[in-house]
Amino acid sequence: MRHEKIIVEGRAQRGLPAKVADAMSILEVRNLKVSYSTGGPQILKGIDFEVGGDDFCAVIGPSGAGKSTLIRCINRLVEPTEGDIILFGQSVCPLNSGDLRRLRRRIGMIFQEFNLVNRMSVMDNVLSGRLGYTGAFRSFFKAFPKEDIDRALNLLERVGLQDHVDKRADALSGGQRQRVGIARALMQRPEILLLDEPTSALDPKISRDVMGLIRELAAEFKIPVLCNIHDVQLALETCNRIIGMQDGYKKFDGPAKGMRKQDLDEIYAMEVL
Amino acid sequence: MSITAAPVSAHGFDAYLAHKRRRRINNWLLVACSVALLAWCFWDTIMFDTDWQRMGGALGIGGTLERFLLIDWSLLPKLLVPALETLMMATLGTILGCVFSLPVAWFGAANVTPSKYFFYPLGRFLMVLSRSIHEIIWALLFVGAVGLGALPGILAVAMRSVGFISKITAEAIENIDPKPVEAIRAVGGNQFQVMYYGIVPQILPVIIGTIIFEWDINIRRSAIMGLVGAGGLGLVFFRQMAMFNYGGVTLVVLAVLVLIAIGEVISHYARKAVI
Ligand SMILES: Nc1ncnc2c1ncn2[C@@H]1O[C@H](COP(=O)(O)OP(=O)(O)OP(=O)(O)O)[C@@H](O)[C@H]1O
Ligand SMILES: [Mg+2]
Repeated sequence: MRHEKIIVEGRAQRGLPAKVADAMSILEVRNLKVSYSTGGPQILKGIDFEVGGDDFCAVIGPSGAGKSTLIRCINRLVEPTEGDIILFGQSVCPLNSGDLRRLRRRIGMIFQEFNLVNRMSVMDNVLSGRLGYTGAFRSFFKAFPKEDIDRALNLLERVGLQDHVDKRADALSGGQRQRVGIARALMQRPEILLLDEPTSALDPKISRDVMGLIRELAAEFKIPVLCNIHDVQLALETCNRIIGMQDGYKKFDGPAKGMRKQDLDEIYAMEVL
Repeated sequence: MSITAAPVSAHGFDAYLAHKRRRRINNWLLVACSVALLAWCFWDTIMFDTDWQRMGGALGIGGTLERFLLIDWSLLPKLLVPALETLMMATLGTILGCVFSLPVAWFGAANVTPSKYFFYPLGRFLMVLSRSIHEIIWALLFVGAVGLGALPGILAVAMRSVGFISKITAEAIENIDPKPVEAIRAVGGNQFQVMYYGIVPQILPVIIGTIIFEWDINIRRSAIMGLVGAGGLGLVFFRQMAMFNYGGVTLVVLAVLVLIAIGEVISHYARKAVI
């Protein structure tokens, strides 16, 4: 493990893409502990896992287990208290704000409530995925380079919103808004996708459409996915790996196919399904 | 509690009545005190402070009225430039006020302030300072600093506008939906981009409405700036008054009225256009 990491860092130093070497693991979480306030309750109590290049990994568990906290630690929307997160071969925790921004550009995130800027057009929302690469002048005038605009139009077509490009984000339905969220995340050309309950605000049918779309696009662009999800059935259908959490601990980690009923019952401490 | 609860005891009933009586007496006392206070104020400010010798009786009042009603229309062409100057003063003052408001609102909004212990109190203090000093006092200060003319008027209007605009803006910033902001942070946006893409679109309608409202008020403010030598219609008013040309004074007042009406109409349609 340590050996691999050295290789990755060595490649980065020589200016080679880290992607070649990280067939093993893109993300490593080590003994992660989080409390929101010093001396406050510990929400994550020592989590360890790795995510590899072709993982579509679901994080399931009861409400309050700390799933959102875990996901949000990875791009440091929440600050880890203890432990380490290694992403693309570099430790996330000690980064200064500039390096953190550069790292965040490579992480796509999709939110439960879509987190779109409502008063902005669909197109501008999608383009805002490129802000990490856009200078102050271009950002001010919303003048994105042509290749960004082409890519945004392409992605909007891929998610089926080619007829809604100029609409305001709040004029769309929930399922359509989440598609905008997906397009915005993919605009970044992310190397990993973090999803915090992307379908909780959607009805069962649309949820399946949206998860199917995410899986299709993630496979096409070869992006590993870490996804919080409440719908266990949907998680088992979509994902190839399940991490089960309960009360700040990891209770289960394994392929979705091998998951047994009693594993689920144990995670939720009740009868599921 | 059930419907057949224990009957109200005699004691409880008496206590209730006594309480009610006491409340009624208190209310009457309050009213009596208020009336006494009002009478005292009236006596002290009007009966005592007024120079009754100079009151010329019904005839005097009528005479004065007549002098004011003989409007001096010959002044009309000379009002055009000062009227425009007043309008410019209001407009430039509002624009400048917006510029000054930007940092003040940024400092004074709890969720984006660069420092909770220094800049936040500073921003809040500037908001209060701007509003607690009357526009005429601001104008006097600036006339002292930069001399007579429209410039001190513009500066005074700007300073007076900062308080309201920045306070409303700061409040709007504090009430935004934090979710889009988080999304912009998550894509790697910097501080400016987070503000420009995450916050500004959310607060823009409120701010534009506020600016239009403030501009409307600033027309009124600019109209009196001339009283302390800061240009515009107020200056003409002051001169006509000094020359005892009451007909001219009335015309200036009418001009101010027209100007304010124009401002009212423009801001009505502008507000409709944005919101
Ligand atoms: N910003 C915060 N400040 C303080 N405590 C928080 C904060 N966010 C979450 N918590 C606490 O952390 C715990 C875990 O919350 P978290 O949102 O990670 O759970 P979750 O597993 O995502 O739950 P859900 O399935 O309902 O989304 C909860 O007890 C919550 O009260
Ligand atoms: Mg959650």
